[in-house]
Amino acid sequence: MSKITVAGVRTNVQQLLQYSNEEKKRNFLETVELQIGLKNYDPQRDKRFSGTIKLPKVPRPNMSICILGDQHDIDRAKHGGVDAMSSEDLKKLNKNKKLIKKLARKYDAFIASDSLIKQIPRLLGPGLSKAGKFPTPVSHSDDLSGKITEVKSTIKFQLKKVLCMGVAVGNVDMTEDELIANIMLAINYLVSLLKKGWQNVGSLTIKASMSPPKRLY
Amino acid sequence: MKRKIGALEKVDADLPNLQHKIRNDPPSYRDDFVSQYSQYASMLELFLQSPTTTDDTGVVRLRDLIDFISHVADCYPKITAEFPNDLIKLLELHHKSLDVELRDKIVGSLVLLRKKEIIDSNTLLNTLWPLLIATPSKALRALLFQKIVSDLRTSNSKTKNHKLNRNIQTICYNLIASDPASPKGLWAVKLTRELWRRSVWTDAKAVSIMEIAALSQDAKVVTSGTRFFLGSDQEREEAAEDESDDEEEIDMRKLKHKAGINKKNAKHDRELKTAAAKVKRKEKKKNAHQTLNFSALHLLHDPQGFAEKLFQQHLQPAQPKVRLNLEQKLFVLQLVSRLVGLHKLTLIPLYSYFIKYLTPKQPSVTAFLAYLAQATHSLVPPDVLEPLVQKIANEFVSEAAAAEVASAGLNGIREVCVRQPLAMTDTLLQDLVQYRKSKDKGVQMAARGLLSLYREVGAQMLKKKDRGRDAALGLRDGQNQGAKFGEVDGGGIEGIELLEKWREEQGIGSDEDEEAWKNWDAESDDSMSSGGWINVESDGEEIDISDSEDEKDKKASKKKAAKEAEKENEEGEEKADAEKASRATASLEPEAAVRREEARISKLATTRILTPADLAKLNELRQTAAITANMPSAKRRKLQQQAQANAARHADDEVTADQIAGLAALSHKATKEERIAKAKGDPDEPKNDHRSTTARRKEKKEAEGKSTTNKEKARKKNFMMTLGKAKRKGKRSLVEHRRILKAHVDRGKRGGKRGNY
Repeated sequence: MSKITVAGVRTNVQQLLQYSNEEKKRNFLETVELQIGLKNYDPQRDKRFSGTIKLPKVPRPNMSICILGDQHDIDRAKHGGVDAMSSEDLKKLNKNKKLIKKLARKYDAFIASDSLIKQIPRLLGPGLSKAGKFPTPVSHSDDLSGKITEVKSTIKFQLKKVLCMGVAVGNVDMTEDELIANIMLAINYLVSLLKKGWQNVGSLTIKASMSPPKRLY
Repeated sequence: MKRKIGALEKVDADLPNLQHKIRNDPPSYRDDFVSQYSQYASMLELFLQSPTTTDDTGVVRLRDLIDFISHVADCYPKITAEFPNDLIKLLELHHKSLDVELRDKIVGSLVLLRKKEIIDSNTLLNTLWPLLIATPSKALRALLFQKIVSDLRTSNSKTKNHKLNRNIQTICYNLIASDPASPKGLWAVKLTRELWRRSVWTDAKAVSIMEIAALSQDAKVVTSGTRFFLGSDQEREEAAEDESDDEEEIDMRKLKHKAGINKKNAKHDRELKTAAAKVKRKEKKKNAHQTLNFSALHLLHDPQGFAEKLFQQHLQPAQPKVRLNLEQKLFVLQLVSRLVGLHKLTLIPLYSYFIKYLTPKQPSVTAFLAYLAQATHSLVPPDVLEPLVQKIANEFVSEAAAAEVASAGLNGIREVCVRQPLAMTDTLLQDLVQYRKSKDKGVQMAARGLLSLYREVGAQMLKKKDRGRDAALGLRDGQNQGAKFGEVDGGGIEGIELLEKWREEQGIGSDEDEEAWKNWDAESDDSMSSGGWINVESDGEEIDISDSEDEKDKKASKKKAAKEAEKENEEGEEKADAEKASRATASLEPEAAVRREEARISKLATTRILTPADLAKLNELRQTAAITANMPSAKRRKLQQQAQANAARHADDEVTADQIAGLAALSHKATKEERIAKAKGDPDEPKNDHRSTTARRKEKKEAEGKSTTNKEKARKKNFMMTLGKAKRKGKRSLVEHRRILKAHVDRGKRGGKRGNY
């Protein structure tokens, strides 16, 4: 394919939404994923890139979040109905690798209060960062719910051992415009990360959990 | 008749001759072969019965026969079915006592049989590999190693032979895993390293062999395993470069030109054809699907576990199982710290390990400083680093310390703080920054480096007068607060607002400009001219192809109105849409957050795909943004260079001892010898070239094969040739003069003599 146009993205998104919302409606909220294939990229010479970006709209609203906090933050979390753990709870895990792994697996993301976060590596060891879920700090003056949406809407591009990756950029409940905005921002950010820009992009595909893939580029 | 018989007898003895004849016509010489083969069989039997007593002539004869049979074995597969097995058995049982030449011949014959595909690679390698490890003979080991490598290379040349690779890799792995304390494992490491260098093995399995080697219990194996991780990438790159250097550049144009001028004959034709084929092959190779060159450090299965084990086994215990000397220990430490830095691992005991080595008297202390910096990353708790930084400051940086020591210390501190700015305390920083007034150049520069770092990442820790204008302004505006621990940069396309502003100024809407997508694939070197081909602003007209701005605005406003109405209707209840996005936190008023979000995210990035032209412009704007135009040009240039250097350095890069010692060279006064050496210097280096700029430029131009410009030609023109025109010029009439001047102006308007109007 020679190039990517806004109109092309729009038609693809329309088709995708049409398929997932009308033709084959599933019993769960399908996530829309952006799949990227890279080319002309030498991971040894070009170094690996990684970056995070905040999308305008939360792509996965059902993400589960846990707050590791002091008393103040735990109270705030309880008020908002979010799971929370205190440092005593963490100490109870006793650096047990299995329990920590279980904890990391149970939640999609973590938020920790300023006072606690410095102790996290000591308390929990490498478990959380190994899972790529090192907590985000929140201070008492921050708005907790704002922080939660921020964490939920942040996506991470990271190259692993293969030259392709996938990120969740939205879900089928979103409107067409919202979805397009998310997709475009993600694409633009990715391209700005790459050393040779569009020359490094091999393919771009969007796909909902159960839909056929739609190729954008 | 007699002569004929004699000739026949001769054939019998002359094996090469017979070999040649068999090659041409196997069926008719079958009987001859069978007789030779039976001879071989009987000799072998004799030999096997008493390997030591066989005399020299017998050995020589056996050797010749083996050579002969292996060369023609493919013609009589049925007769020679047992031949390879015989050889293998002979080699396995008697390799220690065999005559050297016979032994080498047998190895050679086996390789030959493999080439003729009578035996497969697996059999061959399974025979040779145990021999390599078992044999006491150095010459045989060298031979076997070379044969094994070359066989693996050929079997992997067209496509990767995964089955064979996996097999050999498992054998290598088991060799080390079964007996970690034996030095035999070195062969596995050597083989893996060689094949990695040649890009034959590039997968995780090969890396796991090295992983277990680094954790083995033999000092040599450990060192070679760790060195593999530290240097293999560079080795592989160098090997690849060597390979491509071998084939010299062929200038097709030149060759074609030559062919047009010189006398034509078949030889020239042939040469031209081969050259063309070579160029084509090369081109094809260049465009071929790139192999994935992941660094060995990235292919590790479990970096955290590996780093932990390395540290616990070789470094932490006072009496480790393997005695390593300082150099070897440094290798291990370098690997551990590199892993920690690269994968952002949590290995808290590592940092306290460093403490006892951070004194100026410690041998190769700059290496320790570099590795400490390398092991630091943003997720290391600041409280474990603080004592280290304090210790470095106490031990290295004082008025009494030598200048080299102080500058190394300051550099070390700076490298640590680049990676984790929170490791520094206010008082210490303010103290260290004072050293920028030191008399010594090296110390001065190092302290300035620290200062400029903290102006960027934590100006509030500096004294007010040290903050500098930009940092102070930033601090007053409330930005530039310094990152909190564990905070990840929220992302966003750097400089997108600049691009947006620029586009607004240029009056470019959200149209899909075809121009900007030009050179889509062809743009080969973006560093050469960033944005040279941008001419987006050439015409102001806007063609809306897909989404017009206002259409979008309308939609957005409509949506907003709907939302507001909704909010009024069902306030206090579970809300739809945006509220659904944060179902869990519905009552924590997500509305405000969402609103803020929308304001923050650039409209441009969400409505439009950035074209290559946009990206180039973005880069340019990003670079110039920080450097305001009203600065003096020298300072601006310096800043630009600095920015470029910073961009070139990647977080994944390693820190070397040289970087720490770097400026220490300035502190140390050069001896006479050093000064002489420097003055003599390498004339190829630009700073040692004392010729004039013009002379250098001229040479450069000549080397590039470029000709002179018209201006140069005019300047160099023989004076006598210019005389006529000059004389004539003075005698022109007024009318003539006017005509010439007018013609000149007209030509200028057209765009010159060769103007493309």
